[in-house]
Amino acid sequence: MAGRDEQALVELYDRWHPVVSAIVVRILRQGDEVEDVVEEVFWQAWRQAGRYEPSRAAVQTWLLTIARSRALDHVRAARRRREESLDGEGGDVAARQPAEGDPGSDAEAAERRRIVVAALAELPGEQRECLELGYFAGLSQSEIAERTGQPLGTVKTRMRLAMQKLKGPLQVLREEAP
Amino acid sequence: MSDGMTHDQASGELEALALGALDESERGAVLSHIAGCDACAAELAVLRTTAAALAHAVVPVSMSPTQRERVRARLLARATDDRAQSITRVARSADVVAIGAASSAVAPRRRISGQDWLALAATVIAVLSVGALARATAERSEVRAALQTAAATHGARAVALDSLERVLADRDQLIANLTGDEVTVMTIAAVDAHAPYGRMFWDQKHDRFTFVGHHLPTPKLGRTYQLWLVTPTAKINAGTFAPRADGSAVVRAQHAIPKNGLAAIAVTDEPSAGSAQPTTAPFLVASAGDR
Repeated sequence: MAGRDEQALVELYDRWHPVVSAIVVRILRQGDEVEDVVEEVFWQAWRQAGRYEPSRAAVQTWLLTIARSRALDHVRAARRRREESLDGEGGDVAARQPAEGDPGSDAEAAERRRIVVAALAELPGEQRECLELGYFAGLSQSEIAERTGQPLGTVKTRMRLAMQKLKGPLQVLREEAP
Repeated sequence: MSDGMTHDQASGELEALALGALDESERGAVLSHIAGCDACAAELAVLRTTAAALAHAVVPVSMSPTQRERVRARLLARATDDRAQSITRVARSADVVAIGAASSAVAPRRRISGQDWLALAATVIAVLSVGALARATAERSEVRAALQTAAATHGARAVALDSLERVLADRDQLIANLTGDEVTVMTIAAVDAHAPYGRMFWDQKHDRFTFVGHHLPTPKLGRTYQLWLVTPTAKINAGTFAPRADGSAVVRAQHAIPKNGLAAIAVTDEPSAGSAQPTTAPFLVASAGDR
């Protein structure tokens, strides 16, 4: 795709749009603007393909990082406009219609998901909550403290412990080839 | 928190930094420390990939087929435009002749009205477009000259050369499809008075169809254009397409149709995923009956 081949973009989109859509839906929590954000994710990937370093991250991870950033940009902009409440974000994602796609990609994505979900399941609930509010809702530690009613120092400790516990189990994803 | 953050203070914030959860004031101080601390920089890299992996926890979901196809079509159109622009930029930066844009020939336009879309196609203009051929040939010459210039004086600029090679090959193919000894050209007129029009080049020797449209309006949300090759027994899907920002479009298709087997060419407005058969009356149509 770094060679400006439109077909490569289409193939990237065809293969990965279900996981990109998923993270965008998870963060936006409603469907009206998912389509636009997904388009911007792949467009950014097209424009920045030359900067992608396979040695640093799998394609899927690269795309999901872009997707999260673009989705959070969207949420923050909406929050600024409407001070929208984020209560209960994303709890219904698992109930949405699963994507259908190529079996190879599905198996790969399912394995990655299994590893991450298993690692998250090992965390105490309050640590997982801090992590998810930071990662999926894009809240700062101060905002999480305000949201949960916990002291800022407690939030910092929970977030730090959670990430340190995840480092080991998720190392396998860092080492995978794209 | 002050800018003079200690190593212990900064390293305790790396997890939050990786998650994007630091407040702005802290973020600046931590980044400032990391700029001069290899250990923290390395740890942050690990934590960032750990944070990125969290996205894998989400169950993949499908957009609707309509949304999926709409995004796909928009991405393809944007990428095509982007690549065309980058090729022009590269060529210009190499001090060679810029690649010309697609021709914008002025073709005779006629208004056709009525209900039956095949009956609407009353006339065909089966005249080889000398103007279009001249332009295509001129473009080819320009590209060839640009290529030679680039090769002679800018050997190091391989990117430009590769781009030009691709354009040249593409143009050569296009010219072959436009100038073969068994090529028929049909001008496709608008049904209404709003002026979109196109030409279809049918390379009968190689069964190739090349449609070039102009002044095409952007399809409505969730809609696309679809090209049809109409025979006495079937309407053959020759592909969906969206016009470029300037209203032009090029569609290529390959179908083996007997020499006297083509009844008409038509373009309809369809749902974004395309249709197995036309669902609307065509807004561009030409009969092949008078060839």
